[in-house]
Amino acid sequence: MADLRDQTLGFRLRHEWPAYVYLLPVTVVLLVLNAYPIAYTIYISMTDFGTGGRGSLLSYHYIGLTNYIYAITNQSSTVLALIGNSFFWAGGCVALFLLVGLGLASVLNQPLRGKSIYRTLILLPWAFPAFITLLVWAGMWGYEYGIINGVLNSVGIHSVNWLLSSPDAAWAALFITNVWLSFPFYTVVFLATMQAIPKDLYEAASIDGAGTLSQFRRITLPYLMPTIVFVGLMGFLFTFNNFYPIYLITNGGPGLSTQIFITESYNDAFGAHGASPLYSTAAMYSVLDFLIIIVLTVVVIWKSDLTRNWLR
Amino acid sequence: MKPRRRRRWARLAKRVASHVILIGACAFALFPIYFIVVTSLSTLPIAGITAHVLVPSPSTITTASYGTVLYHLSPNFLTLLTNSLIFSGSSAAIGLALAAFTGFALSKFNFPGRRTFVYFILLISLFPGVLLVIPFYFMFSSLGLIDTYLGLIIPYSAGAVVFSGILVKNYMDSIPDDIEEAALVDGLSRTQAFFRVLIPLCYPVLGLAAFLAFIGPYTDFALAHVFITSNNLWTLALGIYNINSTDQGAQNYGLVTAFAVVMSLPIVVFYMVFQRYIIGGLTLGAVRG
Amino acid sequence: MTGITLQNISKRFKTETAVDDVSLAIQDGEFVVILGASGSGKSTILRIIAGLEVQTSGHVYIGDMLVDDYEPRDRNLAMVFQSYALYPHLSAYENIAFGLRVRRVPREDDPERLRRFSRDEIDTKVRSAGQMLGIGGMLEKRPAELSGGQRQRVALARAIVRDPEAFLLDEPLSNLDAKIRSNARIELKRLHARLRQTFVFVTHDQTEAMTLGDRLAILNHGRLLQCDSPDRVLSHPANQYVASFVGSPEMVFLEGNVEPAGTGYTFVKEPVRIPVRGVPRMGPVTVGVRPWDVRVERSSSPSAVPARVTGVERLGSSDQLFLELGAPSSPTVAPTLPPLPVRAVVRSYDFNVGDGVFVSFDADRALFFDAEGARLDSMSVATRLL
Repeated sequence: MADLRDQTLGFRLRHEWPAYVYLLPVTVVLLVLNAYPIAYTIYISMTDFGTGGRGSLLSYHYIGLTNYIYAITNQSSTVLALIGNSFFWAGGCVALFLLVGLGLASVLNQPLRGKSIYRTLILLPWAFPAFITLLVWAGMWGYEYGIINGVLNSVGIHSVNWLLSSPDAAWAALFITNVWLSFPFYTVVFLATMQAIPKDLYEAASIDGAGTLSQFRRITLPYLMPTIVFVGLMGFLFTFNNFYPIYLITNGGPGLSTQIFITESYNDAFGAHGASPLYSTAAMYSVLDFLIIIVLTVVVIWKSDLTRNWLR
Repeated sequence: MKPRRRRRWARLAKRVASHVILIGACAFALFPIYFIVVTSLSTLPIAGITAHVLVPSPSTITTASYGTVLYHLSPNFLTLLTNSLIFSGSSAAIGLALAAFTGFALSKFNFPGRRTFVYFILLISLFPGVLLVIPFYFMFSSLGLIDTYLGLIIPYSAGAVVFSGILVKNYMDSIPDDIEEAALVDGLSRTQAFFRVLIPLCYPVLGLAAFLAFIGPYTDFALAHVFITSNNLWTLALGIYNINSTDQGAQNYGLVTAFAVVMSLPIVVFYMVFQRYIIGGLTLGAVRG
Repeated sequence: MTGITLQNISKRFKTETAVDDVSLAIQDGEFVVILGASGSGKSTILRIIAGLEVQTSGHVYIGDMLVDDYEPRDRNLAMVFQSYALYPHLSAYENIAFGLRVRRVPREDDPERLRRFSRDEIDTKVRSAGQMLGIGGMLEKRPAELSGGQRQRVALARAIVRDPEAFLLDEPLSNLDAKIRSNARIELKRLHARLRQTFVFVTHDQTEAMTLGDRLAILNHGRLLQCDSPDRVLSHPANQYVASFVGSPEMVFLEGNVEPAGTGYTFVKEPVRIPVRGVPRMGPVTVGVRPWDVRVERSSSPSAVPARVTGVERLGSSDQLFLELGAPSSPTVAPTLPPLPVRAVVRSYDFNVGDGVFVSFDADRALFFDAEGARLDSMSVATRLL
């Protein structure tokens, strides 16, 4: 409505109060289904709640920061591994997303026969729900029966035990799978941004004698930079907590080598431990994950114009 | 070689290279999809999966796997589908209403506390959804909502509300205030103007928000896996996960892929039809320059 | 059909004042143009009348009714927006019908009870409004399929069909091509003559204001400077700002001094001397002359000053000359004073660049302003001096 930013508080309250009515349902939902559970998680992380640990399902006690202190000081703690894996996973994925997305977008951003067909086909993975294709990908990476080894065999390469023997192979499988899931999005975003660059910039540059590469470096890349930074940071935040690829394909294995916070936390509570869930540990990993994400987000907001869109 | 000739060669090489790259990218994009479709139409047991599967011959093509998926599963496919539609449909409807109201309030009002509210929902939405399952489990246990329709619909409805609320807000920002004001002068209250003018103008983004709110529960495993214990509440996602992880799936990979095709089909069709809106809506916030 | 009265309206924000104590009585059936540069607060006033914004202080009356606490929808005004603000999802027909569909009117048999317009009534009203504005043939089209001029007519039809207390128009012509605009101006004037309803029209274009308004309300920095008929604003501007804002080409201003000369007084700005009637203020004064009141001749006359034509702007029916006074008519004579730039409007093709001419001013039509820009009326100055 009217720009009332400068109005006094009382004036704005009198004229803008219906907004509170419209926001009431969502506020209730967020308080009950987000804020309270988050607070509850933080509380659990400060107890000995868990049948595999010190407390039990029926009686557990507040133990302050003991879990955190134990996790940080204990040499055999998994926290460091989880931090390393989470950052490696998110950072590696984003690097690949940007590389593949930028590469394909710049190839597509030139006059080429059949361009729209290529574009449509490249976008196809996006149409399929990730959960479903991930299940299939898990099968495709199988050692004995997976189609990927089948194809490798048919060209004379020995089967690789992708998921169960070597961390490197497991990471490779995860990265390739996740690139498949995400590269359509990045390609489209970069292509759209490139198409928004005024054509006369390139015309002026080519009159000045700039070749394809130097045009890319001097015009395309600077123009894309805000998008690259924004999309890269958002992609990092998303991938950091992307649950299904790791849960369905390696489930953190072999050993702990591909385990990240979110999968470890879920498994501690509901997964591998079966009858002896480690709720307090799971909650602690949740909280640590949350804290890391908050810090990263603050950096994103600080570094980008993300909020300008939202806060006007 | 003369310079002009050389330039022509360079141009040709560049074009060939471009096509090679794009064909490679398409092959990568299509391979798993092709694999899913081909395998779902074959009878080969999993032990027989070699590269041969990829070259189907008319004699090996069969729809037997589809028959099994549709008629011989336990719990049967129709139950899974019905449950998924109940969860996804009701969550999409509730989530959509919440997103529309939120977007309206944040876009068209300038109430005290607006900035704080946006920070609040931003902060809260940073907590990974999958990890909410842990506190939900205890909250809903004590309320007796585990293993009920309501127990899933409630968290599902909230799932996409922040994201789609912001989506709607950004879209409404692009609708000039003039149009709402014209409606006010024409004789509408702000609420009436919201329903009669703004909502119809927001159909594209609301469609996208509904689609996203639908697809979340449709493919959710993390919450359903913990919350659902009885077979008659199983969803499609639990169904395909179960087939994949049991012997039935290991012996006949065709079953898993046939299920994947059937389960993906409505989403893929919807996506294909509304591709322009979906891509536009999702990339809108990301494209900047 | 009703007048609108603004009583000491102010709109203040924390850091700035958009509208500053504006009082204005708009008569029933009058066409009032609110004229001002961007940021002058003219649109804010219109929006306060419409109820889209709320004044910080002061009162708005529609007829005799105090409407300060009325929502826009309860004021029964019609507004045409600069962007037209047509509902993009509705056809032209539905856009025009929209206000009728949502409004309730008293029943004929029982004025206490309200009823909605019937489908037939709406259809009749929409079609006749469409007819009146010449868009009868395109009522089924969506706004996106219409040209700018057609959209503007749909927006007008949407206003007319409502039979409102008054029409508020916020720069409705500024998005039109120059060629259609003058036509639209005439049609709007005709429409007003036909409807005989109150029109409040906001614009920054003084030509538009002069041709359309019964009265012009001229605004600067939120303050109402003058509200008068176009002729009166042109001949008796309240101050230097109004004088320079209204009239095209812009008024010529000379800053000088009033000195006693013989029995009377004379304005002096070398080499210009303009006799002053009455008893004006002595000392620094600014004189304003309309460029068409600046006489340019080839031959010398008693009060004329030699000048050189430095530029000619062809306006069509006339030319605007850019002159330098005091520039010697022959290049061999060295100038004694820096040349004084002046403009004049003359008949087309009478003069060319480089011509040596003689310039004189119509003393009867010259206006005097003090250092603050207020106009010095001979009489009022005289009384003030007493």
